[in-house]
Amino acid sequence: MFSLKPPRPTFRSYLLPPAQTDDQINFEPKIKKLEPVLLPGEIVVNEVSFVRKCIATDTSQYDLWGKLICSNFRISFITDDPMPLQKFHFRNLLLGEHDVPLTCIEQIVTVNDHKRKQKVLGPNQKLKFNPTELIIYCKDFRIVRFRFDESGPESAKKVCLAIAHYSQPTDLQLLFAFEYVGKKYHNTANGINGLPSGGGGGGSSSAVGGGQGPQTPLFETYSDWDREIKRTGASGWRVCSINEGYMISTCLPEYFVVPSSLADQDLKNFSHSFVGRRMPLWCWSHANGSALVRMALIKDTLQQRKIDQRICNAVTKSHPQRSDVYKSDLDKTLPNIQDIQAAFVKLKQLCINEPFEETEDKWLSSLENTRWLEYIRTFLKHSAELVYVLESRRLSVVLQEEEGRDLSCVIASLVQVMADPYFRTITGFQSLIQKEWVMAGYQFLDRCNHLKRSEKESPLFLLFLDATWQLLEQYPAAFEFSETYLAVLYDSTRISLFGTFLFNSPHQRVKQSTEFAISKNIQLGDEKGLKFPSAWDWSLQFTAKDRTLFHNPMYIGKSTPCVQSHSVKSFKRTKKSYSSTLRGMPVPFKNGIISDQQLLPRRNSLILKIRPKPPQPAKNQNSGMEEYFQEWFSKPVDLHGILLPHLSATHIKLWKLCYFRWVPEAQINLGGFITAFHKLSLLADEVDMLSRTLRQPRASPGGPCSAERDQSRMYFQASGPHPHSTSGTPEFLSSSFPFSPVGNLCLAHS
Amino acid sequence: MNLLSGLLEMELLRIWMKLSPDFRERLGLLDSTLILDVPLGVISRIEKMGGATSRGENSYGLDITCKDMRNLRFALKQEGHSRRDMFETLMRYAFPLTHSLPIFAFANEEKFNVDGWMVYNPVEEYRRQGLPNHHWRITFINKFYELCDTYPPLLVVPYRASDEDLRRVAAFRSRNRIPVLSWIHPENKTVIMRCSQPLVGMSGKRNKDDEKYLDVIRETNRQISKLTIYDARPSVNAVANKATGGGYESEDAYPNAELFFLDIHNIHVMRESLKKVKDIVYPNVEESHWLSSLESTHWLEHIKLVLTGAIQVADRVSSGKSSVLVHCSDGWDRTAQLTSLAMLMLDSYYRSIEGFEILVQKEWISFGHKFASRIGHGDKNHADADRSPIFLQFIDCVWQMSKQFPTAFEFNERFLMTILDHLYSCRFGTFLYNCESVREKQNVTERTVSLWSLINSNKDNFKNPFYTKEINRVLYPVASMRHLELWVNYYIRWNPRIKQQQPNPVEQRYMELLALRDEYIKRLEELQLANSAKLTEPSSSPASPSQMVPHVQTHF
Repeated sequence: MFSLKPPRPTFRSYLLPPAQTDDQINFEPKIKKLEPVLLPGEIVVNEVSFVRKCIATDTSQYDLWGKLICSNFRISFITDDPMPLQKFHFRNLLLGEHDVPLTCIEQIVTVNDHKRKQKVLGPNQKLKFNPTELIIYCKDFRIVRFRFDESGPESAKKVCLAIAHYSQPTDLQLLFAFEYVGKKYHNTANGINGLPSGGGGGGSSSAVGGGQGPQTPLFETYSDWDREIKRTGASGWRVCSINEGYMISTCLPEYFVVPSSLADQDLKNFSHSFVGRRMPLWCWSHANGSALVRMALIKDTLQQRKIDQRICNAVTKSHPQRSDVYKSDLDKTLPNIQDIQAAFVKLKQLCINEPFEETEDKWLSSLENTRWLEYIRTFLKHSAELVYVLESRRLSVVLQEEEGRDLSCVIASLVQVMADPYFRTITGFQSLIQKEWVMAGYQFLDRCNHLKRSEKESPLFLLFLDATWQLLEQYPAAFEFSETYLAVLYDSTRISLFGTFLFNSPHQRVKQSTEFAISKNIQLGDEKGLKFPSAWDWSLQFTAKDRTLFHNPMYIGKSTPCVQSHSVKSFKRTKKSYSSTLRGMPVPFKNGIISDQQLLPRRNSLILKIRPKPPQPAKNQNSGMEEYFQEWFSKPVDLHGILLPHLSATHIKLWKLCYFRWVPEAQINLGGFITAFHKLSLLADEVDMLSRTLRQPRASPGGPCSAERDQSRMYFQASGPHPHSTSGTPEFLSSSFPFSPVGNLCLAHS
Repeated sequence: MNLLSGLLEMELLRIWMKLSPDFRERLGLLDSTLILDVPLGVISRIEKMGGATSRGENSYGLDITCKDMRNLRFALKQEGHSRRDMFETLMRYAFPLTHSLPIFAFANEEKFNVDGWMVYNPVEEYRRQGLPNHHWRITFINKFYELCDTYPPLLVVPYRASDEDLRRVAAFRSRNRIPVLSWIHPENKTVIMRCSQPLVGMSGKRNKDDEKYLDVIRETNRQISKLTIYDARPSVNAVANKATGGGYESEDAYPNAELFFLDIHNIHVMRESLKKVKDIVYPNVEESHWLSSLESTHWLEHIKLVLTGAIQVADRVSSGKSSVLVHCSDGWDRTAQLTSLAMLMLDSYYRSIEGFEILVQKEWISFGHKFASRIGHGDKNHADADRSPIFLQFIDCVWQMSKQFPTAFEFNERFLMTILDHLYSCRFGTFLYNCESVREKQNVTERTVSLWSLINSNKDNFKNPFYTKEINRVLYPVASMRHLELWVNYYIRWNPRIKQQQPNPVEQRYMELLALRDEYIKRLEELQLANSAKLTEPSSSPASPSQMVPHVQTHF
């Protein structure tokens, strides 16, 4: 059954008054309401009516009646019944309230009550009984349960088989993003629809805007890398284009940064010796000139020493003090990706699979046994140690890993989050993910297991987000984003629409999408592959209002006024406060060298200048490190300088919002950190509003006009037309907010 | 452990340690010479270590065990008899009761501008609850502590029960602690009652008066068919108590009541559990297996059971399902925990600073939680089996609730920690003695200062900036191991390595924003003032450049 009619914009269209359509007064009949709103390229594969979605484990009184649909993008449950017990709307624009993207499905279990049979459905399997119940286990810890008591047994079975088939594709091009983008291109050709706003793709557009704020550099172009070199003030490094057209390596980006002293020809020669031809890639430079570099192992044992020496010499030459290179062998110091996956599987089992009460007694030791927190701590610790090497010992750091595209992504990113405040802004954080994950060839396709080859699955990206959350938890005013942002970012990896999280490498996107374009007769012109939507285009997923939940009301932006400075001068500078438009923009350059003055805001913030240290003689590294950490922790934190994590076992916590949000029993109604967040938002909003009023040429006592209200960066606003504007705690707040476990978790009855 | 050298000073209240100047410099402590400030009341045990022949650095001196999760070790020089003198002085002043000396609170002459003893007035508190009403009356039967020497003079009982009835019920309740009202729901009028166990004994004795009394309580709500009894103990313990004359309400004797056991363990179990907590956090935190070590102390499990019990009590009453009677054995430990926590969940008044003080004063102090025995104020007998951290456990539960509901409490963490510090310090009279009758005899309110004087005269220090006053909101914390946490800021505060950011960065940021808001408002007012000043004399000063332009043009 194909439904190719143009999609309606939202479900809300039903509620529109029939004002302009007075010639056709017929309201849509009730049954028509149960039609899905499809995305471009989305087709309904199978559907079944009179399905009951279970809401609570112990009672069926809240169950919803509706139609269960399997499309090539998601499973969708369409119902007229309102969601019980849920009093707020935070919704993904791509998904209905009850929808699960196919790439988010972990396991499909069909049950027949009467025959007491149960089967886990794989692709292309047969089902010998008519299911009375379908349970979907999701990768994001949700469990969704449907009952077919009143539906046609054959159609129920067909839908289950369809879900099993479509959620476990064998070929990358079967993922929905291809169909979606293909449709968009066709529509463009016919002049119907505009292109998706670039990103995750084409070479022509180098940045993606989220509708507001600065654009996220994607590092697909030469200039993005060049700007990053200049932003960090690195000297001795250059952008190298030898991999244009992926001529050297298929798992490296087309452009990357290398020591200036290495000529293209040298690099070409060396490249053969590296695993995956992944030669050293520059990640970032400290203001003192120490660089962070990542590279794969040298597989050529004969040449190993020689090449290694050449690389190290080149990195040393690129250091203003010609300091030695500090090598960190990640494979030897960190748990491997299988260990991490095993920890995550245990964590998931602990959070969802067991009955809640039965896991209570041994909760703490079970949590310890998953080793998840231990691994988070190990990664944070190692990153902090490298920050010490870069900052205090002023050595360049080379991360070594067999392929250099797994553990290196986590460590390289964490080091930068700790060491450079830019990466604690939303744009900076996104650019970091582009730089160290997407472009560096983190294998999202395999690690997220979009194609169900479980042996390659590993949650390294989540591990990074979790570790970032730990830093956010410890230094809540140092980050522009909120924990909701991190959770939603994690969810975005499970929606197979964004080019950002779909591929194993940039080359794979170009290759696969070019093949797809040819097979579908899509004219690519001079574009390198299809342009997929970027995850950074948040307007695809959330309304502007909902996106304000990404903002951390505690964040102290660089130009935000601080209380201590009472002068009018500092106040005037606050014009840029909170807007963050200037952050992330490159500072102006003179011949690529930043003058001292221009550097001031950034350099000043680094601890280095504030407390100069005597040059360190060859000292026992460990005692030096201990001393460095002790000294750092004894001083007040500079939120725009280095951030080091507290690493005691009592400090590393479970990220409850992410892992408990779908568990009804764990939800604190009207409580949780969000209630303090709410108060903070109201106050931050009031401060913003006052600051805007003051900035107006003639401050009017009536406060800002309504257009100004829309500028608010806060979800919760101090006053205004919004229903939850009173100072009391809104009744829909809970520790799961903005997510709701209602209807999302239904453990199989035992 | 950190070694510091300096000069030790002692006065009646506390030990001070002043650092020798060279140490001061090395630590960068320019202003504060004070490195250690220990109230003598916090000392649990003093031991000599090493002898005259001890070799090695710091092997000779004094070991001091404290009640607040830390140990102190003072290394002394072996010359002279400095240690003997010090030991004897310390023993004398740290344990005044043992030496027939007065507790420090009686010598304390601090003055505050608020009198904390005025905070709790039982008549006023019951009036706030709408009592007396036509079902409940206030009785002065215990005015001279004749009915029950561990209860307060003023009690609230069913209107239909005569004083004579009360006396007969007292005979059947352990230590005469009869069921009395703790709290009444303002709308549905169900109540929380507290008492001790019935004296059932091995033979299964019954008492018609007690049975009738419980039924009278039930009947204050006509529509309700059962009275719910929560026995805080594990059922095994309740049964075992029969051997010593105690027991619980049987179904036969009390057909209109339903009884549930809440499985909360006794004072000895709690004491041992806290000891284990100390073992894993002091002097070093058990880093390698932190969570399983924490689990093995069972501390959080006990917290969970106490909270779970209180939630059940609160839920019964708030839903109007039934009135609740809470008891354990004597009704002064677990019972106090359950009633006060349930009241904290049900009544937002108790979540204010003053309301909480009243709650502690009422449910704990006036109803005879045996603070003297549980804490051992001024008593050197550190191994006394009566000591137990029951009140600490209650404060921990409150802290857990405040973590789950960051905006619901007027007070902050410092408030709770201050209460705990002075639970031991003996600087105030608030927590001295076991019950009101003794306090009255000792004239505590006249001869000592109340802790609430200190707190209420510095209220701003103890306020939670996120507090949102809400009336009639019932708080149900999630009593799950997934949310309960060890109170690191309290239990591990003596460990320099587990340095928490103080003040809490979220709180700090909020205060900064508040200051910023005030500054902006001030500036805005100044601006408006300036504007209106301009408006009143428009001829002398131009209001704005935009108005200037047309004015100039007309001249051409």
